[in-house]
Amino acid sequence: MKLKFFATYREITRCNEEDIPVPHDVWELLTSLGERYGAAIRVKLFTPDGGKISDDAIILVNGRNILHLKGKDTPLDEADAVSIFPMVAGG
Amino acid sequence: MNAWVGTILRVDLAAKTVVKEPLNIKDAHDYVGARGLGTKYFCDEVDPKVEPLSAGNKLIYMTGPLTGTAATSGGRFEVVAKSPLTGTIGAANSGGYFGPELKYAGYDGIIFENASESPVYLYIKDDVVELRDASALWGKSVFETTDLLKEECGSSFKISCIGVPAENGCLFSGVLNDKHRAAGRGGLGAVMGSKKLKAVAVRGTGAVTVARPEKFLDALTNARKTLKAHPVGGSGLAALGTQVLVNIINESGALPTRNWRDGAYFPEANETGGESLAEKYLVKNKGCFACSIDCARVTRVPDGPFKSSGEGPEYEAGWAYGADCGVSDLAAICKANFLCNEHGIDPITMGATIACAMELYEMGAIPESDIGFPLRFGDPHAIVKLTEAVGRFEGFGKILALGSYRLAEKYGHPELSMSVKKQEMPAYDGRAIQGMALEYATSNRGACHVRGYLTSPEILGVPIKVDPFVTEGKAGLLKLFQDLTALIDSTGICLFTTFGLGLQEIAAQYREAVGTDETDDEILLKGERVWNLEKHFNIAAGVEKDTLPPRLLREKLPGGPAAGKVAELYVMLDEYYKVRGWDSDGVPTPEKNVELGIDA
Amino acid sequence: MSKQFIIKPEKCVSCRTCELMCSFEHTKKFIPSLSSVTVFDYEAAMTSAPIMCMQCEEACCLKVCPVEAISRDGQGAVVINKDKCIVCKMCVSACPLGNISFSPATKKVFKCDLCGGSPKCAEFCPSGAIQFVDPTESPDRKKAVAEHFKDVFGQEELS
Repeated sequence: MKLKFFATYREITRCNEEDIPVPHDVWELLTSLGERYGAAIRVKLFTPDGGKISDDAIILVNGRNILHLKGKDTPLDEADAVSIFPMVAGG
Repeated sequence: MNAWVGTILRVDLAAKTVVKEPLNIKDAHDYVGARGLGTKYFCDEVDPKVEPLSAGNKLIYMTGPLTGTAATSGGRFEVVAKSPLTGTIGAANSGGYFGPELKYAGYDGIIFENASESPVYLYIKDDVVELRDASALWGKSVFETTDLLKEECGSSFKISCIGVPAENGCLFSGVLNDKHRAAGRGGLGAVMGSKKLKAVAVRGTGAVTVARPEKFLDALTNARKTLKAHPVGGSGLAALGTQVLVNIINESGALPTRNWRDGAYFPEANETGGESLAEKYLVKNKGCFACSIDCARVTRVPDGPFKSSGEGPEYEAGWAYGADCGVSDLAAICKANFLCNEHGIDPITMGATIACAMELYEMGAIPESDIGFPLRFGDPHAIVKLTEAVGRFEGFGKILALGSYRLAEKYGHPELSMSVKKQEMPAYDGRAIQGMALEYATSNRGACHVRGYLTSPEILGVPIKVDPFVTEGKAGLLKLFQDLTALIDSTGICLFTTFGLGLQEIAAQYREAVGTDETDDEILLKGERVWNLEKHFNIAAGVEKDTLPPRLLREKLPGGPAAGKVAELYVMLDEYYKVRGWDSDGVPTPEKNVELGIDA
Repeated sequence: MSKQFIIKPEKCVSCRTCELMCSFEHTKKFIPSLSSVTVFDYEAAMTSAPIMCMQCEEACCLKVCPVEAISRDGQGAVVINKDKCIVCKMCVSACPLGNISFSPATKKVFKCDLCGGSPKCAEFCPSGAIQFVDPTESPDRKKAVAEHFKDVFGQEELS
């Protein structure tokens, strides 16, 4: 499965894009990222108590925000692409 | 005075007279300032049917009550005239340092009337205000003019001026301030050029006072802290600028590609994004007056065929020259954008017009002999060459200088101009972000992203998170965003403060500056009044109805998350007119006029 | 120990908030022409720098004043006693850094007085270009270099 990092996430992962084994769902993916990249990524991905995905993290599965899919339980598949952004804006 | 300095300059360019008149304080109360107040003066004084490039059009510079104070990003002002591009009310907001300096000189605004026979500029040093000969400046670029005027008047002067395209009637030429900040859209530079007014040079040493200094200090301190603590307004825009949007809009399948012909996903987008800009060409970031957001990019392309330096690009400019032209060379995009500032043209319309020309060329509608070379999507040299041609107003540049609508019409395909009311749509596909489709169609100055930026809730999740595919509820949300934006543009602070602040913090600063006890809702209502006044002008001017290019209404997106979608405009438009209190043709009802206190 | 200003031009974003807050603190108005701090822009060099009185230990202004109107206060600020000052402007000429100004509008000379110990320019500077720090604490530039060494040579786990 394809995983893409953007903006400040790239400073932590030092990687723009990688292929990873398919996790069961979004929550499992993010938890594994927390283990791989440590506290630096956990503070961005999760709420302080670790129980929820942070409001400041934007997670897209195939271009759709998981908020409009099944949230943290959004299932993942080999053909999916997940994109992870911090809260960004501009215009 | 409370946040105002109390005087408007009225300059008759034909009679060569300058009159100082008191600010209309009732209108300033009702229409806030800047965009609202400038529009109010304009509507009271100018026939909506006026030919935009005739002497009968007026050009108004107007500051807001918070301009020149330490309110969050409180350095903005508005330029107002009837737009020659769209035929609508033209109002363009600019940052930089010019607006505050005008107030320190003692003037809340300037109204330019009629036209001069020979080039002039307006010199303002505190009490001394005079029209001076600008023959030596005519034909000079924005950068040359700014440097020459600083030499002539003094280095502490702030300069607002136009470039060569504006002198020659380019319909998307802007009014440039401090070289790199623009009242950019709608071709207001051409109005200035038609009046033979090359520049305004101002230096002021006076003060701006506020009604309740201690409470104002509390309000601005609170607002500054809140803004600084926000991930976007505090640190995000400073680090990566507005170009950071390229990737998220692209990944969301909403980045219009090759004149919107090839859907809304550009595979090479990452090469043109904010991350790449920061890595390759960013020297430092910069702020406008009183700003803590500091989104501006000071950039340098150190070598290669596009070696250059300047400021930007911003997201929409980066898109117009990038994905919209199919160009992935960031150095070329930077250089083309620098040229827009140097020559005083709107990079959104410039890039989008080149994109339109590329499609017309590729389908065989424009002969190569008209352009001078084969104009294909993806050619980085073409975007630079054609921007230079418009900048110097020569060759094919003279045709491009009229914008994409007139270009596409000339070559028999007006439907391929990706514009609304003849102004080019910016960098968000309304098929993938439904609220933006409604926003483009209903914007009072033609297609525009800063008149009700629903991308923020629909994609970025600020301040709330809504689904971009859903049409339900977008009308009400858009009305709120349009009214709030009209309010903010009228106060003299930057719209970007909403990436951290809400109505509460903005209204608090306004209240203490002008000394009012109006509630947040009463203050927001002023934004609605401004929006309705603009609409009334457009109706009287005979502006075409609210719609979108057929491509958005009929051509389904070919791929990406929004594959198969079109813009569901008419589902939302009826609801929009209802929530606005307008009739089914989009005309404000008598009840609405009474509620807002508008004589119609 | 008195605190001192540290200026970091590389962080300055030219927003002029320092000028606004300095003038507001002293006059209750926003009037940059009466600010004791001024931001200078160098366009070609793509940089800018806020300049203000650094409160010289050997203050020329203090020495040159013929009526002893200039003294050092408890916070280490070199201050002008408006009642004693005869506005001869000798201090304006004497300051080798140009950090004392004469205002034609108020007919007074003025300079930075550290706002009584908590300078508003530093407090409101949004980018950290103006800092007001205790000089006995480890200076951040040294610390930044040390952190760079740590990043390059350190073995610390990222978590």
